[in-house]
Amino acid sequence: MEFLDLVLNILSSGLPCCLLALGIFLTYRLLDFADLTAEGSFLVSSALTGVMIYNGINPWIALICGVFAGILCGFITGVLNRILRIPKLLSGIITMTASASIAMVIMGLASDSISPFRAEVSFGGFITKGSPQQTIYSLLYPWNEVAPGVFMPPNPTGDLIKVGVMAAVVIITMMAIYFFFGTQYGMAIRATGMNERMAKAQGINPNITSIVCVSLANGLIGLAGALYVQEAKTVSTISATGYLVVGLASIIVGEAIFGKRTFKNWLISVALGSIVYFIIVNLATRIGLPTELKSLLYAILITIALCLPLIKSGIKKLINVFKRRKAEAK
Amino acid sequence: MLELRNITKKFNLTGAKEDERTALDNVSLKIEAGEFITIIGGNGSGKSTTLNIISGALKPDEGKVLLNDVDITNLSEHKRAAYFGRVFQDPMIGTASDMSVIENLEIAYIRGKPHSPFKWGFSEKDREFFKNELKRFDLGLEDRLDQKVGVMSGGQRQALTLLMATMRNHPTYKMMRRDFALFGEQDQAEAKRQFDEFFSEEKNKLDERIKTIKNSTSDTQTKKNEIKQVKDEFDAKIRAKFDLTKQILLLDEHTAALDPKTARKVLELTNKIVRENHMTTLMITHNMKDALAYGDRLIMFHLGHIILDVKGEDKNRLTVADLLKMFDDADKKAEEE
Repeated sequence: MEFLDLVLNILSSGLPCCLLALGIFLTYRLLDFADLTAEGSFLVSSALTGVMIYNGINPWIALICGVFAGILCGFITGVLNRILRIPKLLSGIITMTASASIAMVIMGLASDSISPFRAEVSFGGFITKGSPQQTIYSLLYPWNEVAPGVFMPPNPTGDLIKVGVMAAVVIITMMAIYFFFGTQYGMAIRATGMNERMAKAQGINPNITSIVCVSLANGLIGLAGALYVQEAKTVSTISATGYLVVGLASIIVGEAIFGKRTFKNWLISVALGSIVYFIIVNLATRIGLPTELKSLLYAILITIALCLPLIKSGIKKLINVFKRRKAEAK
Repeated sequence: MLELRNITKKFNLTGAKEDERTALDNVSLKIEAGEFITIIGGNGSGKSTTLNIISGALKPDEGKVLLNDVDITNLSEHKRAAYFGRVFQDPMIGTASDMSVIENLEIAYIRGKPHSPFKWGFSEKDREFFKNELKRFDLGLEDRLDQKVGVMSGGQRQALTLLMATMRNHPTYKMMRRDFALFGEQDQAEAKRQFDEFFSEEKNKLDERIKTIKNSTSDTQTKKNEIKQVKDEFDAKIRAKFDLTKQILLLDEHTAALDPKTARKVLELTNKIVRENHMTTLMITHNMKDALAYGDRLIMFHLGHIILDVKGEDKNRLTVADLLKMFDDADKKAEEE
């Protein structure tokens, strides 16, 4: 039972991050665009989704609005980079910086706000069957949660349904990405990322393909944010901090472990990477790593993942040396 | 067909007046349809700049680029791509290395058409077509369609780029109408009127034939086949009359980065493709022997000017020694000035 609990725990934080990692993957790997918008679009989308749920709007509509908020953030970054010719890193930073204020304005739209700005919105603890505040999970399985602080036995069925919904969203999204990047337009985007001069010579407008790709990627990140907030039931200006690193680490860990031979393989690797990442983080906390040292663990994890090819070849060399010695001894 | 009119292009990397360098100085050039032109000249003579201005990668400071008397000076590079096939000196530039051979070919094949976000990249029909094309040119790539281009040698990549640059794409009717106006001999409005007239006439005939088939007594399957047949006939008729997109091939020292044997092979392939399709071609080369052996017109650039422009008999009479002498003379003259 405890094991199941652990697995569900890992999956419920890992699956939204699959989408985040896939979004970062689209820009970072396919478009060769180190997009720092990620944290901004994650924050804006989770703020918007959170506020809409707080105000009692249908959570599925809130989810879709969150995705569009992400797309809009990406679109702005794309336009900054492609039309206004601001370097890639900087255009991401600009959008990310702006997003903190935007998120506060959005959170200020909560129904009982006294000021137009607000730094935090929480709706946890009150999701009951009759409550107007519903998440997509509580819509599907109305499990009662009483006010915070009151002890409730864990509810594995509810968690299972939650993870099931997340998994379904992730799998459908991955299939959509796979199909889209196999179409003519997807090929044009990939060609732009790989070789812009070739793309231009083949009649592809790199400005448009880039903007489309960055927007789509941030739409995915927005989806991750919207799923995340429905699970966490709280959003604040700092809730997105660190997610860029999580996404990047997932990509790198996934590629190092599961490879990137074909596009399909690559996509699955990235998604699994974020699960692996959360397994490691979860185990570390279980062993007793203080939360204060988490960032250090992230850094070490990324370093190891980046060095994995080197380590692999080193091990191969060692094995070869042993083999030779054995042969010589004979 | 293609005309450069008083083109001037200056480069200035630092912004300081003394660093300004004139790459092209009031150059005019007229190219007829079907001509195979070889271009020679020293480093910095302006030959690559000329090609870049034609393809739209660079904008001229002064002057005009005309395609069939239509001013395309301000048409962006990717929009011009439908009319120009390009091969670069660096084999890495012409192809996308992390994509498979078939994907690269498909991107070239649909060049100039809108990219659909719903249509799968390539069809089985396209695969057959590419296979036959690759077989025809004996590149040994016909069984490696799904391999990534990155694993191939420079020579193979360059041959592939060449094939991509010369691949005849299958334009839509709308594109055909536009191109017929742009490339036809009469003026644009008249060309469009001609197209519309012919098209609607044929379309009416087609509709009538489909109607008679639908009203006939045969079973649904035969009807379907018959309709497909008349539609294909209609398509062929339109294409035979209006599909004029004769691409112009721009080769920027495309064999310079290859070893001599591969370079020879790629050059032979170039010649074969150009002659078979009667393509208008501009080929920059550093090898004067090649410049004399191939093509029907030779142009020599020197310090931003065209100092030699010969064709036919005059070109055939030239030797490498003559060309070298001309280079030396031009250098001396420039020094004296």
